[in-house]
Amino acid sequence: MSFITSYCHLTNKSCFVNGQLIAARDTDSQDSWLKQLYKEQEIVYPKFYKMDTLSQTGFILTELLKKANSNIINAYQDDEIALLFANRFSSVDSDVRFKRSYQEQASPSPALFVYTLPNIVLGELAIYNKWYGENMFAVLPKFAADFYINYVEILLSTGSGASLCGWLDIADEKIDAFLFFVEKEGKGNQFNIESLQKLAGLI
Amino acid sequence: MDQLKEDLKKQIIEQLNLEDIQVSEIADDALLFNDEGLGLDSIDALELIVLLEKFHGIQVTKPEEGKEAFMSINTMADYITRRKAEQAV
Repeated sequence: MSFITSYCHLTNKSCFVNGQLIAARDTDSQDSWLKQLYKEQEIVYPKFYKMDTLSQTGFILTELLKKANSNIINAYQDDEIALLFANRFSSVDSDVRFKRSYQEQASPSPALFVYTLPNIVLGELAIYNKWYGENMFAVLPKFAADFYINYVEILLSTGSGASLCGWLDIADEKIDAFLFFVEKEGKGNQFNIESLQKLAGLI
Repeated sequence: MDQLKEDLKKQIIEQLNLEDIQVSEIADDALLFNDEGLGLDSIDALELIVLLEKFHGIQVTKPEEGKEAFMSINTMADYITRRKAEQAV
């Protein structure tokens, strides 16, 4: 039996950790919503500003989960945390921006090109946190609880001690993100289809 | 010179797609390739080379020059000023 020991949600308007509202977008701020969250975390990581929305979202939510659950930092070796992410739209926002850079400005941008794959967010998380475990990014037609259940079961039975999972649905700058941390032991929600769908807001 | 530095900051924000950063947040002497500065990497070095040609008509032909020129906004402005003076001769 495994458990979802912490989770968080982010939309364009609000951010919840373990079901508690922790931040709401300040529409009067000159800063983007993700920059507002970044500043609140008091992280100093300038590379954040170069990331696309997909990577910024994964990065910020991971930092929030780390704050909420110290096990993520303290309880595992650097190769024991697996990363299992998915979404519907791959890296479409960066793909479109890169296309514009060479079609309209006649200057293909290397800085945009490096984000034209969805799994780059996993690389960003691995680099920042020095995590060297398994990682996988899937593009799916919709959030599929059974995908996470089946894949995490394999990961946890083949050497991973825990799995950071995410659904990062981002298109046209619209954000619908859900991250959750699964551990073999712990307290909280059992890691099964029903509870995962419930936490994801599907039932 | 101050105008050149201001322009450079705007051009870097545009060229490197750093829309979340304000011109006022980039210090003239901040190290561009340091995590306490802008945290740029080798991909961004390519962008800076493109920027110099696109906005200032300067080609960086000697890699060792780029390493020194791209240290900060101050060194980039100095480099542009020197290269333009050389071109004018």
